[in-house]
Amino acid sequence: MRPLARLKPLLRLSRACKQHQRFLSTTTEPANAWTSTLAALTKPRKPAKEIPTFKPPPSARQICADPIAALTASQLTQLDPTGARTRLFSRKNPEVARVGDVLLVRLKNGDPFAGVCLNIRRRGIDTGILLRGQLTRVGVEMWYKVYSPNVEGIEVVQRREKRARRARLYYMRMPKHDMGSVENIVRQYQRKRAALGTGGSKSKDSAKKNNTKRGRK
Amino acid sequence: MPPKPALNWGLLPPSFLLPSSTPSPSLFLPTTARRTIKSIHAPRPDRFAHNPNLPALGATTTAALDRKAATLPLRTGALAIKRGMTALYDAETGKRMPCTVLQLERNEVVALKTRPQHGYWAVQVGAGWKHPSNVTRPLLGHYASAGVSPKRWLAEFRVKDQAGMVGVGEAIGAGWFKEGQFVDARSKSRGMGFEGGMKKHGWGGQPASHGNSLTHRAMGSSGGGQGSGSRVHPGKNMAGRMGAERVTVQNLKVLKVDEPNGLVVVNGCVGGPKGCIVQIQDAIKKPWPEITMPLSNSTTAEAVAA
Repeated sequence: MRPLARLKPLLRLSRACKQHQRFLSTTTEPANAWTSTLAALTKPRKPAKEIPTFKPPPSARQICADPIAALTASQLTQLDPTGARTRLFSRKNPEVARVGDVLLVRLKNGDPFAGVCLNIRRRGIDTGILLRGQLTRVGVEMWYKVYSPNVEGIEVVQRREKRARRARLYYMRMPKHDMGSVENIVRQYQRKRAALGTGGSKSKDSAKKNNTKRGRK
Repeated sequence: MPPKPALNWGLLPPSFLLPSSTPSPSLFLPTTARRTIKSIHAPRPDRFAHNPNLPALGATTTAALDRKAATLPLRTGALAIKRGMTALYDAETGKRMPCTVLQLERNEVVALKTRPQHGYWAVQVGAGWKHPSNVTRPLLGHYASAGVSPKRWLAEFRVKDQAGMVGVGEAIGAGWFKEGQFVDARSKSRGMGFEGGMKKHGWGGQPASHGNSLTHRAMGSSGGGQGSGSRVHPGKNMAGRMGAERVTVQNLKVLKVDEPNGLVVVNGCVGGPKGCIVQIQDAIKKPWPEITMPLSNSTTAEAVAA
């Protein structure tokens, strides 16, 4: 309720009445507008009709507050059922693959690619790594999606002695810092692993310091 | 020169004095005065009708609707909230497909627009929820008549004909769309504010050097001089407000549908920031999805009549 809401029309009315009386030429009495309108105006107004409101249906936003996370989780159960790939790039893992490590990516269709990791882009299901290696003595950089079904396995071939103090090692593109070919390192690693007899089995993963991962299943 | 007075047949000499070529006035005198222009040329063919055998385009509203019928979806669309982008991997090929996650939020049919009453067929869909105290009384009455809660967003989806009508108050969930079908997504793009021509229209700008001073990103010339009017032609691209306009992305494939969570995952990107409202409807440039309408024609007819 607005108690002063009626004040304005009342004032307007009284002003109009006063003006009527001011004319000398008007011989007739002004109509008794004042009392009649006053009665009409002071009469309490009929309350507004109640409009029914309906309850909203259940909200999908409350049922699924973060659809991207839910979708990622459901995707990961298929793409990374053991969780090994996630662990390899999880910051909580002390044996995590870091930039500066030499990584070997085995593909389902195509030759494996090895190179030094310049960048790890952590974006949930879109997590990718940038490897810099050499093919036919030409420096080559390749992006790989960590959870891509085409990536059969990712292995840490060699760890960097000291932790890199940068998140992106793009300076390794400069001739001064370029690592060149990692072919020898990879061959040595594979020979060592074959000698230890951990080639195909999963038994001695923990025996080797590097957090290798072979096969997704 | 004053107009020549009309030949008064009454003032002519008698007929036997007139030359033989002049016809007898009594025979050819018009009984009623008629002022018309009679063309001596045959009507010219319509320059827009490339094939003269085709029927002429009608100027009626019915003809207009008929022309539009081929590009109007058979059924209504829905309002969704853009929740963000992620990627899905194809199970067989292992191909990565970037996708946009759309969430349908409390979609309900609020009203129907019909050809007899409004001139076209459309379904008004509301989404979200608004507190009734924040809704004006006329709108509250509108929602009450449909028997739905006050809605945060309202949109109209045009449909081809009466078969596309759905019952008022009916809910539209994510199951309305099927995996593998194509949709068009309309939304309001991100507003960039006042932007220069280089960003807004992709102009090249001007050189950084060679004597250039202080004008590196300017628009350059805005038009020709003498010969092209010495003026700026209407519609000339210039710097100004960019974005915040309605953007339609056509033919997005529906990759995934999650009915309980109200999710529709479409391939590719959709305009606007996260959290913006997106109108999705069957793609007009693809074959219509083979989906049986949830309502039979009899019930829709009743709904329309009501």
